Amino acid sequence: MRKVIGTAAIVMIGFLYVPIVAVVAYSFNASPVSYRWDGLTLDWYAALLQDAPLLAALRTSLLLGVLAGAIATAIGFLSAYALHRFPIRGKGVLLAAVAVPLVVPEIVIGVALLRTFSTVGLQNGLLTLVLGHIVIALPMATFVLLGAMRALDPSVHEAASDLGAGVLGTFWRVTLPILRPAILAAFLLSFTTSFSNIAISTFTAGVGTTTLPIRIYSSVRTGLTPELNALGSLMVVLTLVVILVVGVGQMRRILAGSAPGSTP
Amino acid sequence: MHRSASIVAATAAVVLLATGCSAGGGGEDANTTLSIYGWSGEVPDGVIAAFEEETGIDVTFDSFDSNETMIAQLDAGQSGYDVVQPSQYAVQLLVQRGLIAELDHDRIEGLDNLAESFVDPSFDPGNAHAIPFAWGTTGILYNEACTGREITSWADMWDPAFSGKIYMLDNMLSAYIAGMQVRGLSILSTDEAEVEEGTEALLEQKPLLAGYNSTNAADLVGAGDACIAQAYSGSSAAQATAANPDVHFVQPEEGGTLWTDSFSIVEGTQNEDAAYQWLSFTLRPEIAAMLTDEANLATTNEAALAEVQDQSLVTNPAIFVPQESLTNAEFLVDPGSALAYFQDGWTRVRAS
Repeated sequence: MRKVIGTAAIVMIGFLYVPIVAVVAYSFNASPVSYRWDGLTLDWYAALLQDAPLLAALRTSLLLGVLAGAIATAIGFLSAYALHRFPIRGKGVLLAAVAVPLVVPEIVIGVALLRTFSTVGLQNGLLTLVLGHIVIALPMATFVLLGAMRALDPSVHEAASDLGAGVLGTFWRVTLPILRPAILAAFLLSFTTSFSNIAISTFTAGVGTTTLPIRIYSSVRTGLTPELNALGSLMVVLTLVVILVVGVGQMRRILAGSAPGSTP
Repeated sequence: MHRSASIVAATAAVVLLATGCSAGGGGEDANTTLSIYGWSGEVPDGVIAAFEEETGIDVTFDSFDSNETMIAQLDAGQSGYDVVQPSQYAVQLLVQRGLIAELDHDRIEGLDNLAESFVDPSFDPGNAHAIPFAWGTTGILYNEACTGREITSWADMWDPAFSGKIYMLDNMLSAYIAGMQVRGLSILSTDEAEVEEGTEALLEQKPLLAGYNSTNAADLVGAGDACIAQAYSGSSAAQATAANPDVHFVQPEEGGTLWTDSFSIVEGTQNEDAAYQWLSFTLRPEIAAMLTDEANLATTNEAALAEVQDQSLVTNPAIFVPQESLTNAEFLVDPGSALAYFQDGWTRVRAS
């Protein structure tokens, strides 16, 4: 029985990776059509490197993801910390309010943002994109961090203050280091949310800030090119590198048995 | 804490990199910059580069995924764009909303290079608001090895022999082109009963369909996984026919429709001179020809045809649909208040 379930799990997880393998394989296919294999080529990678508009869109998306991710994580951390540590009236209402952007359809948020920005006279551009993406990234960052804080052993804080640490000292030297993996997770989740977003970007992008998903979506009408497979492959590789670096770092920390916060 | 320090450093580096690169788009000096909002893949990079080099104007090109998105952006005001690239029905919508400017033809050079079908088009009398740049049709892509015979009409897309091997475009009005014309109706009809008949045709067709698909139907036809698909002429149709000699693109004998994407100047732009320079530049034969050579799309510019480097593109029926099959083709225009009938019918078709 256990063998059956194990095999089923492997098959299902394998299924998840089939499209990724396909995209990588086709990025080396010399044929411009996906149903025929004409041998290996690196032409699509060369074409990708020369596609200035696509690279500009990639740069916009990366910058946007980093900015929106970092700001959402910072604000998310503060709100989660406040909600967790302090007795606030109407905590449930606040929590629900933070969660609202997760359940409202993105296109509605996008249109609402467009109207708001035009009412206050803010021209669409990087600023409006970042603001729009914070709206959808913030709930995730907040909940990831709130979950991590709730899992914290409260006695750690008590121990720190017993040993003479002040509120700020406890925060910097105890809470923050313990929460570092959760902060990183919140950032990566926010970054990914921002990076893959289409609906909100559509309404908040402006002159010179076409994001990568918009660019790709827009090219559907004139035909998707194998260049996009090359781009997809590079992103898969990049993701793997990030996961390996983050994952290996965590593993080493656990294996070394270093107590949280003891790193210099 | 080394890792967090390097994350901070990387963030700062990315910020500096991008702000440094985007600093050029400020646009304080009118007419030294031009912001264009158009279709990805329909304005060759070479055209933009040549324009920048000749005029010294710094061009920013952004792409949209649909006419509706572009209209919404302009509608919100102060989009910052100087030139947009609407399809024919979107030109009408933009004019109705006063979002694009009436063109001063005295400031445009090369208008007489346009092919006859694009001079004084139905959607924009007198080319008052839009200068057509790219064109194509909505037709049929089929794999003869799979169909076993020549395909000539929309009616073939209702043939039970191809059941489960037919794809329609995932686009309301495109689907209705076939639905209305197969019943001998005009896609320009705004009559509720006639639209209803088109809806019934689509409902009748639905069980035969493999699906509605606007992304990779051309690949599926090429591979033989689909026999017949509704498709736009142009780059992907041309690619499919070039890759497989059994694949053909045809304009249906019921008429089909023409589409064209034009350049228009946004009402109230600060860079009017630069925008007019762009219109004149793209009307030059040798520049318009780059659309066909670089993007494999049909140029609206008659004088450009002789300038196309690869003349096989001009005779390729998947790019330049032959004139004789276009005699009954109409521009798909804004259905106005009849849009509601189409939307209602489409909802029922999709839900059936």
